[in-house]
Amino acid sequence: MGYINAIIILGGINIIAALGVAILTGYTGLFSIGHAGFMALGGYMSAILVKEFSVPFPIALLAGGFFAGLCSFIIGYPAFRSRLRGDYFAIATLGFSEAIRLLLNNTKMIGNINLGGAFGYMNIPSHTNVLVVVISLILALFFAHMFVTSQYGKNCIAVSQDEVAAQMMGVNLLKTKLTALFISAFYAGVAGGLLGFYFAYLSPSFFSITKSSDLLAAVVFGGIQSLIGPLITAFVLIAVPEFLRSLAEWRLIIYGCLFVVVMIFRPQGLFGYVEMNLNFVRVMWNKLFGRKTAKASEG
Amino acid sequence: MELFLQQLISGISIGAIYSLLAVGYALVYSVYNFTNWAFDAFMAFGAFMAFTAISSLFLPFWAAMIISIVLTILLSVGTEKLAYSTLRRRKAPRLFMMISAMGVNLAIVNLINKAFGGTFRKFPIEDVQPIFIGNISIGRMDLIAGLISFGVLGLLWLFLYRTKWGLGIRASAIDILSASLMGINNDAVAMLIFTTTGVLSSVAGVFYGIKYAVYPMMGIVTIKAMIASIVGGLGSLPAAIVGSMILGILETMVSGYISSSYRDLFSFLFLILILLFFPNGLMGKSGEEKL
Repeated sequence: MGYINAIIILGGINIIAALGVAILTGYTGLFSIGHAGFMALGGYMSAILVKEFSVPFPIALLAGGFFAGLCSFIIGYPAFRSRLRGDYFAIATLGFSEAIRLLLNNTKMIGNINLGGAFGYMNIPSHTNVLVVVISLILALFFAHMFVTSQYGKNCIAVSQDEVAAQMMGVNLLKTKLTALFISAFYAGVAGGLLGFYFAYLSPSFFSITKSSDLLAAVVFGGIQSLIGPLITAFVLIAVPEFLRSLAEWRLIIYGCLFVVVMIFRPQGLFGYVEMNLNFVRVMWNKLFGRKTAKASEG
Repeated sequence: MELFLQQLISGISIGAIYSLLAVGYALVYSVYNFTNWAFDAFMAFGAFMAFTAISSLFLPFWAAMIISIVLTILLSVGTEKLAYSTLRRRKAPRLFMMISAMGVNLAIVNLINKAFGGTFRKFPIEDVQPIFIGNISIGRMDLIAGLISFGVLGLLWLFLYRTKWGLGIRASAIDILSASLMGINNDAVAMLIFTTTGVLSSVAGVFYGIKYAVYPMMGIVTIKAMIASIVGGLGSLPAAIVGSMILGILETMVSGYISSSYRDLFSFLFLILILLFFPNGLMGKSGEEKL
């Protein structure tokens, strides 16, 4: 049972982070290969708040996310203002996350707080359990859905499809991109916080480029402009390697080859452009009962 | 003063390696409008091939270099055929090309990791005596790395601006469709570009391996090449080279005078500052990147 719990918790955390990447990459068309950096920022921040300042756990979690979001402006503002091309923005995020990791690796103490440098930040109170993860996940999904179906979300989609056209329709590029980046960093930060409160320990090595590639993989396989796709793949990508331990070393090699295969044969991803909604219930209902009632009314 | 001069020379040699990488990216980008993310994997592959040729087959350095270049060219062209050419023909959005390239990168780097193990290795080349000029010692490898890198860049320039094939590449960079209407074979241009890319990445990989270490994730240094081309300005090849030199020299100064563990942190801060105050880079004219 504990094992299944662990998979649910880690899968749920991965989904929350992947939803953030989906908003940024899937909907706004901005590539990030540095979300592990935002996870690290949120994780350390919320852990420090709870452990050193005894802030209540939920508030600390949100504060961690908020902190990660604020830090995202450090790269977001200069990169978007100078209209840095998408690929170079991806590089900037990668550089940012590597810089965060290096900084954490080399920082032993901040004031009286012992961050432990490369050994990791230890003895974080353990707060994350299945219930917490499921509640956070439902909230995260709800707000992500609200966001992408709102006017802001439509702006994001417009920006991803054609920046110039979007701008002509009155979309503020800088503001839209920064909003998307903030929200996606917020999600990553919350996910990082949950991770720390689960392991009761945070190490800079958790947040390497591999973590960022995993998140990107979830979104690429899951599909562009879809929340349900990345949700499913983010969970599968955590659960499947657990059951196929013998293939663990091949995992990233297989992901890499799958990237190429998916792009050649199904570039929109598994669930590309499939919006999460309950339409299928109505469709099913109509299929099962709709015709009968229609006939009944005719008769 | 001695420290300063020594760091300066070391910085120029690392800057030369960065410029090879930056030029390699710019070459693919200028024609196909996507960043060849697999490039850093080619670099690690080139370094590992040369490493294996010397340490297992006991070949001399120049032979290992040739083997590495040939194999990296094969890998580079093979990647183009397998991962890019179908997307290219279908005129797929560049996002897809980028993801495909990332996939190739992920697969190759982790394959190297699986085959050779993730440890850091010293490049198997005997320590040659540094050259002394007054009190300044210059690493002989630094000198060779710098000279060969500049030599390769010079040859590339001759190739692009003094041959018919180079003209074909430059024409494709302006407009690939019109170029093909004028009788330029697109597939041949792709072969040429990815062959050149293979040479650049292999040379850069071997010399970077000599200077630091050979390990599967060594390709991450290509971030620096990207930063360098943003610093120089996304306008032209000379700007990329100037940016690489500036970044290389500043970096070695930081690691010499402050601490080498903050070197990478510094490069990133430098990028943010440049973006804030010189959004188009130091020499850049526009956001469009062309040859």
